[in-house]
Amino acid sequence: MDELIEQIRLATQALAEFSVHLFNPTIRLGVTGLSHAGKTVFITALVHGLVRGGRFPVLEAMATGRIARAYLAPQPDDAVSRFDYDNYIDALAAKRLWPASTRQISELRVVVDYQSLNGYQRTLTLDIVDYPGEWLLDLPLLTKSYEEWASESLRLSRQLPRADLAKHWHQHLATLDPNAPEKEQEALTAARLFTEYLKACRAKNYAMSLLPPGRFLMPGELANTPALTFAPLDLSTEGPPPPGSLWAMMRRRYESYRTVVVRPFFRDHFARLDRQIVLVDALAAINAGPDALLDLQHALDQVLDCFQMGRRTLLSALLRPRIDRILLAATKADHLHHTSHDRLETILKRLTQNSTAKAELAGAQVDVIALAAVRATREAMVRQGRQQLPCVLGVPVAGETIAGEIFDGETEAAIFPGDLPEDPDELLDTEKKSFRGLSTMSSQNADFRFLRVRPPFLELTDSGVFALPHIRLDRALQFLIGDWLE
Amino acid sequence: MNKTWRHRPPAVFRLDDDHVIVGLAKQAGGSSRHPVQVKPEPDFDTLAITVQESARSLPRGVRWGTLFWCALVGLILLAVGVRVTDLIVDLFARNKELGGLALALAILATVSAAVIAVRETTGLMRLAAVEKLRQRAVDMIARDDRVEARTLVQELLDLTRRMPHLARSRANLEGHLGDIIDGADMLRLAERELMTPLDQQARALVSAAATRVSVVTALNPRAVIDVLFVLASALILVRRLAFLYGVRPGTLGFGRLVRLVVVHLAMTGGLAASDNLIQQMLGHGIAAKLSARLGEGVLNGLLTARFGLATIDVIRPVPFAALPRPTLRDLMSEVLRGFGDGEERQRSAESGDHRSSIERAT
Repeated sequence: MDELIEQIRLATQALAEFSVHLFNPTIRLGVTGLSHAGKTVFITALVHGLVRGGRFPVLEAMATGRIARAYLAPQPDDAVSRFDYDNYIDALAAKRLWPASTRQISELRVVVDYQSLNGYQRTLTLDIVDYPGEWLLDLPLLTKSYEEWASESLRLSRQLPRADLAKHWHQHLATLDPNAPEKEQEALTAARLFTEYLKACRAKNYAMSLLPPGRFLMPGELANTPALTFAPLDLSTEGPPPPGSLWAMMRRRYESYRTVVVRPFFRDHFARLDRQIVLVDALAAINAGPDALLDLQHALDQVLDCFQMGRRTLLSALLRPRIDRILLAATKADHLHHTSHDRLETILKRLTQNSTAKAELAGAQVDVIALAAVRATREAMVRQGRQQLPCVLGVPVAGETIAGEIFDGETEAAIFPGDLPEDPDELLDTEKKSFRGLSTMSSQNADFRFLRVRPPFLELTDSGVFALPHIRLDRALQFLIGDWLE
Repeated sequence: MNKTWRHRPPAVFRLDDDHVIVGLAKQAGGSSRHPVQVKPEPDFDTLAITVQESARSLPRGVRWGTLFWCALVGLILLAVGVRVTDLIVDLFARNKELGGLALALAILATVSAAVIAVRETTGLMRLAAVEKLRQRAVDMIARDDRVEARTLVQELLDLTRRMPHLARSRANLEGHLGDIIDGADMLRLAERELMTPLDQQARALVSAAATRVSVVTALNPRAVIDVLFVLASALILVRRLAFLYGVRPGTLGFGRLVRLVVVHLAMTGGLAASDNLIQQMLGHGIAAKLSARLGEGVLNGLLTARFGLATIDVIRPVPFAALPRPTLRDLMSEVLRGFGDGEERQRSAESGDHRSSIERAT
């Protein structure tokens, strides 16, 4: 019943918008990515490139001069904060700092005035939303009951390497009886320990991705509310929980978490997307090890399952907008020499093959690229003795370590992160656990080391703005909005 | 734990370390003190560029026909040589000055013949190179190979080096050679930059020729002159288009080009018919109802336009990937509009040129 009401609500919204957008097309660009995938940097670079005129040779409309101007317009939603473009670009250019992780939802609208191929003056509006990537993990909860979620969370937490991190929580869990009368203190402790476990999993060494519910990691304005005070219980019995029990309380709170948090988030920002870019930081997962990579695969599968993809038809445009183009982008491609970009793309293709097959079957177009929205490195060939190493040159962020070296954030270094294999199955082999990452090894012995690099020194262009170097950002835009600009 | 990962391990080199040198080692002795050399790659094109040899040169048997013609031509050349030598010797016997003049003329003839031969050969080679370039471009778009795309674009740049009005486009394109752009995208970029102005001119050429043919055949009373005029305009059109796209064929190359165009027309004729020829035929039918001569004129114009389009397909160094292929319908509507009102067409073409030049300037 709930589901039906929700669908009707979405359809009315879509109908209302359709009539408005008939004359002034608006594209909702879904920038999807787990935390630290680079959403904020991507949006900043995109806006900077469009508004200030970036170097986008592959974006046909821009390269042929058909875009008259692009500017930031007031966003449609008054209740959501504005995307802080100016501060981000300032920090990037002046202080050479990446934006800190996003803590709340923000929105922006870019309006592009252009001339169509047959000479008409047109306007295209682009709506983009930025949000904490952790929250994306809530979307799969929409279709899961409390019991399903609890058993799945428990199963995951008992696998290595998560089991070590979940020790405290498991000890506390063993003392709880789901059928006992509810006690607020027990719920509080369980929620706290569960949150600690999730946070530990997310640490750089482990880089786990599948860690719902997202608000536990990034509570936003809901910190310490009952809606965030629940945890999975070890349920052995079937059937409805006894009234007044701990189980019933947890279940009630989980339900309210779904209705108060997850559903509005989905409805307001993801139900009506036209185009989608999925940013994936595959390199961080490779850094951490095979477990993190598998975890990333599962998380991507679950998240991408929540979106409506398929060919755009009149009916779908009227009632339920569908995503007709999906771009999968392996971000931070500048941490690799460009000769390895193809391999990175193959790895991402392999990670998302289930979801992309489904999307393509439904008629959506899918493309996979290696992307760097802001390119922070240059490339170099290093000769050491007889071997030649394709390296990237950049300034590692303070505190990064590799082979016993600790960087101070000022020294430039040539980094060879390790060879990506040609066949992605070598990385994803569950049986052999073939390569060793930071989750099991010290930084000296890991098979891959992708170092985080500071933003580059930016040069001023002739027109007096900072030119952000990038890798394939123009190709991404051509794929995502190029056909709307024809 | 045993080592199971077969690939190279990660490594890092601080650029301020003593044993690391940046750039190329100048002296051989330095390499022992500096075991690590870092060579920054400012541009993509510092990479070694490999050119694949065409795999299509199949082993063939003896080509008797060619052998025969070669032998025959050799014989005739020998005969002519003997005659000329005799003539010169004769003339020397009669009068020294006359003999000298004959010798000078003979040398002049030989030298110019050699120059013509060289030119014809280069013309033919240019034509073959363009054909090969297009074939490779088609393959490349399918394979999306970065290194190969660089080579191709470089060759396109060389091909258009002699066209002064493309200087700005070339500069733009050369500026992007160092960026990381994937193969197919790079080629589309090159096509957009280099081919847009050429395509516009080509369209103008074709539609002007078609209009001229239509008008002349509609007004001209003699059928023989019609045929000659259509043939001549078609050949002139092919030649102009070839020069426009930078092929510059010689006489032999021109012959080969015309043959290619005719073959292409024969191969794609069916496709075009399904596309929009029916509609054109209908239009022609209506025009023929109005006046037999008018209908004939339109039909001839149509044929010329088709010939022009086929030529563009054959002569364009890259396939139509990023830009729209000009269609017969566009061209014919231009022709019909310009029919009887040449002046207006002229003006519209000029304003079109004007617009394109503005686009280029921005």
